Amino acid sequence: MKRYLLFSTLFIPAIAALAFVIIQPITVLPRIALAPGFALTDQHGERLTSEDLRGRVALYHFSYADCAAACASSNAAMQQIQAQLNELEELDEGATDSPVPVDLVTISFDSRDDVDALARYAARIEADPQRWHVLGGEATRLKQIVGSSFRTYYKENDDGHFTFDRAFVLVDGWGIQRAIYRSAAPPLDLLLRDIDLLRQEAEQSQGVTRYAYEAAHLFLCYP
Amino acid sequence: MPMKPPTSSSAIHSDSLDNGSGDGLERATKQNARSGGGRNWARWFAAGAALLLLALVAWRLWPTPLQHGIVVQAPERAFDFTLTDEMGQPVQLSDFRGQYVLLSFGYTACPDVCPLTLAELARAVDALGARADRVQVLFVSVDPARDNPALLDGYMHHFHPSFHGATGTADALLDVATQYGVYFERRADSAFIDHTATVTVVDPKGYIRAVFPYGVAGADMAADLTRLMR
Repeated sequence: MKRYLLFSTLFIPAIAALAFVIIQPITVLPRIALAPGFALTDQHGERLTSEDLRGRVALYHFSYADCAAACASSNAAMQQIQAQLNELEELDEGATDSPVPVDLVTISFDSRDDVDALARYAARIEADPQRWHVLGGEATRLKQIVGSSFRTYYKENDDGHFTFDRAFVLVDGWGIQRAIYRSAAPPLDLLLRDIDLLRQEAEQSQGVTRYAYEAAHLFLCYP
Repeated sequence: MPMKPPTSSSAIHSDSLDNGSGDGLERATKQNARSGGGRNWARWFAAGAALLLLALVAWRLWPTPLQHGIVVQAPERAFDFTLTDEMGQPVQLSDFRGQYVLLSFGYTACPDVCPLTLAELARAVDALGARADRVQVLFVSVDPARDNPALLDGYMHHFHPSFHGATGTADALLDVATQYGVYFERRADSAFIDHTATVTVVDPKGYIRAVFPYGVAGADMAADLTRLMR
């Protein structure tokens, strides 16, 4: 009897740990790096800072106003995300707890894009003014923010257009980069899944469940 | 061991039982022990393996879930900057390799946020006791116009003798702040500067390990740092 008690005391936690690793009841995205601190100007001529986005999940993408064919698929991807988020919000309208808000941020790395150019760009991509911010700023700041912190290469060509990395970056409410997609148009369901994972983590990682989330960060492979 | 032709165990048992109940029982028990010994050995091995697995889980899980800070698992080192310290000498983040650097941004004329953060950091360093020499607080002033090295020196030592301060040109500060997720901007026609008030923890090898949001008490930071240091 004593022996079985001993074995079960050892076995049950060990099997629980194995089950946690195999079944993976919690999925988390890695905490890759700090998102940059910034203060840029949006399409309405107002300042948007990284502090304004604290507490909100943000999907960043990098482009410029004069980009036409080269940016068509990435603009379309952001538009699809916007449509999906709006739909989900309509469905959530009856819910009692307000879910973590999700914002879209397009940063133009072309320092020549003034507020008018950003406004025209925003209109062209049908950016919802409440949710999708199209930002611009000064050249050295943009290099630090986009080139250095978000590690997205861009370079102006002789004809005034740019050669640049296609990238989308997902940042959580604490200002930490959680996912980087190096693609012109990442799959919509992947982006939505990842946004959902971040929202869930923000809502559920309290008290005791926080330990479970931290354990998931330590033990489980990332999706 | 006597050379005997192989017999079934029941034959052996009946043989040993024939010799009198006392002896027979003893030999029967020994027989049982010998034939059951293989299974016992496997059980102990399995128990040992389970214990080892548990120990591994506990060892991995034990140090890191921080109560108040957010753990970051950066694959690359933190941005190594060069600024000017409170003695007027150049200071690089990599000068502090080998210590946990607690990086915070603010300015000396800050009315509430910075003094509170620095006071809590001082409490954290004191709470660490013997481990305090593994930690270095570095306060970066985002107000180089007013915060010259002498002013920074006095300000830092007001909070704790071990604290270091640093500042630099406006551009250099913007570069550093951007990389550490810190936004700062002077309010128009005001002495006040809005700035992010987090404390970033850089480990002895130069990787960002955690971020403390504003308002974490010193004792809590010390507890989390102790967990990180294990």
